[in-house]
Amino acid sequence: MEQIQYYYFNLPIMRDALPTMLHGLGLTVLMALTTVAMGVGAGLLLAILRSYPSRWIRWPIICFVDVFRSLPQLVIIILIYFALPYAGIEFSPFWSTVLGLSLVLAAFAQESFWAGITATPRGQWEAATATGLSHTATVLFVILPPAIKTSIPSLTNRIIAVTKGTALGSAVAVQELLAHAQSIQSVVANPSPLTLGALLYMAIFAPMVAFSRWLEWRYRWSR
Amino acid sequence: MTSAPVLQISDLRKSFGSEEVLKGVNLTVQRGEVVVLLGSSGSGKSTFLRCINRLEEPTSGSITLNGNSVTASNANLRTLRKQIGMVFQSFNLYPHLTALKNITLALRLSLGQTRQAAEEQAKHMLAQVGLAEKAHAHPSELSGGQQQRVAIARALALEPQVMLFDEPTSALDPELVGSVLEVIRLLRQRHMTMVIVTHELGFAREAADRIIMMDKGEIVEEGPPEQLFTAPKHPRTREFLKHFTGR
Amino acid sequence: MFLENFFDINAIIYTYPLLLDGFLLTVKLVAVIVPAGIALGTILALIYALGGWFTKAGFILYVDTFRSLPPLVLLVFIFYGLPFLGIQLGSFASAVLALVLNGSSYYAEIVRAGIVAIPKGQWDAGRATGLTRFQTIVYIVLPQAVRNVVGPLLGNTLELTKATSICSVVALPEFLRTAQIAQSHVYNPTPLVFVALVYLILLWPLARLVSRLERGIATH
Repeated sequence: MEQIQYYYFNLPIMRDALPTMLHGLGLTVLMALTTVAMGVGAGLLLAILRSYPSRWIRWPIICFVDVFRSLPQLVIIILIYFALPYAGIEFSPFWSTVLGLSLVLAAFAQESFWAGITATPRGQWEAATATGLSHTATVLFVILPPAIKTSIPSLTNRIIAVTKGTALGSAVAVQELLAHAQSIQSVVANPSPLTLGALLYMAIFAPMVAFSRWLEWRYRWSR
Repeated sequence: MTSAPVLQISDLRKSFGSEEVLKGVNLTVQRGEVVVLLGSSGSGKSTFLRCINRLEEPTSGSITLNGNSVTASNANLRTLRKQIGMVFQSFNLYPHLTALKNITLALRLSLGQTRQAAEEQAKHMLAQVGLAEKAHAHPSELSGGQQQRVAIARALALEPQVMLFDEPTSALDPELVGSVLEVIRLLRQRHMTMVIVTHELGFAREAADRIIMMDKGEIVEEGPPEQLFTAPKHPRTREFLKHFTGR
Repeated sequence: MFLENFFDINAIIYTYPLLLDGFLLTVKLVAVIVPAGIALGTILALIYALGGWFTKAGFILYVDTFRSLPPLVLLVFIFYGLPFLGIQLGSFASAVLALVLNGSSYYAEIVRAGIVAIPKGQWDAGRATGLTRFQTIVYIVLPQAVRNVVGPLLGNTLELTKATSICSVVALPEFLRTAQIAQSHVYNPTPLVFVALVYLILLWPLARLVSRLERGIATH
């Protein structure tokens, strides 16, 4: 028992590690926020575009979504960081991770929004068309507001899943939280920094998970 | 002196796949006329109505509104649709917008009105259907009859040349039907050109200038209400109106 | 030049045995993790359904803890952290443990949601005909619940399959790792591209299926 405390909850070590790890935490949060902004924004745009009746627009979007739902996040990040340079395109570790995660989130977000859009009763489209509204105006003012509201629960879960992937940045040497935890751990030969890292991650994600639970609870009772 | 007809529909045909639902329907509607379409489900009356503003695409045939072709491939549908008002069976109000905003949306985006002008117009319309005090209510706070009246106001606000009603009271509880029919009567007094699909036979008899009986995608009989109700010529009409005992 | 670099057939031919081993290891991982995850998740969901408020709270705590933790962090903790207690799991066992813990919490949540959505009348009918709570769940409620959540179950399976790639970080020679090793042998990104294509070809059908099921409609 004492051993567990010494190795996993070694307070002096944790205290010393804290400043560096908070640095890493900041970077993790920055990556997460950037990913969410880019991914959800792109996903929304793609869902809007997908509503236009041209198959030259829809098929590429569906292709994009399928590709980024089929590929593991780490594979995408590794491809961007290690393979793209051979084509002359170089991204920093930070941007490789953020870009990779954003592409995946865009695909998932698009699916969430699209589900909301397709769940809209046909009558709403008809009423808007019958009053001469353009497709764009119909989508923006009539279809999207309720659709976005409907997609929030699934969108929240997707966001949590993808932003946890920021930890993968450590695999391409982004100095985020996990990377710091690992390097300190190897220096002090004690896994307490890992415990601290785990707790800090949970501090970020537990509120999001709790929010998602609350949404689900609310949805169940307001139907 | 006869003015040009508001709506001229020739040889309208519509097929869904291999099934022909409209088999060459002809209709001319004069300004200020109220035409009621009757028929059992499957007779094609709703499909016909929805073809007029091309919510359903006709397979062949022509439709003109005040001389402008609706069916031409280069027809400016958005402009034409503003001149055709449509009221749906399921109201189709936008649930996230207030009654007022339901009306001002098209006024601002389709007609380009300013917010002030649109709100003026919308309030005026709501007053006409007797719902001025509900301007800031959401559809969920309104009864079915009130929602349908807002939907009528929404269609009216664009000042269309003709109003189409697709079974406007079929989704309403019986006690709410009256309020909606009252509004339609009001429009009739104002000489609004209307084409109405309905099951309310009493109302049809009282309000229609002309009644059209449809069966299996064709017009089987048409004429003034009194003629159809007292001396129907076609067996189908007779069959359909047989159970109607007045009022 | 583009083709040469990214689609160098020779590179594949040269590293083929390595990549095949990696692929097979990934398959092995999935074959162990997914059934274990589903089994554990279902058991947890059953415990939730049969337990009192204390059990239910414990369930939520367990599930939400693993939902708040990135799987890679869990893996690193198990692989680098546990040995200090004398528990030396190899990279394969660490990977399995980490992903089963992570995956089972999602599966548990999915099955739980499915169970909770079954109308109370089903429970009443079972109990009224003399079945115990356990029998009611196992024979009446659970089969219906699982049928209703096939979509999310498949979705999570897809995610778990993709997640096996994180094990490359603890040097487990699964598919992605062997691609990286191969790349260092031939100085050429073709192995990475190849592995990506294989993932794509194999997982695309599943991803497509999950998309459709999620939307609940059978057509695009």
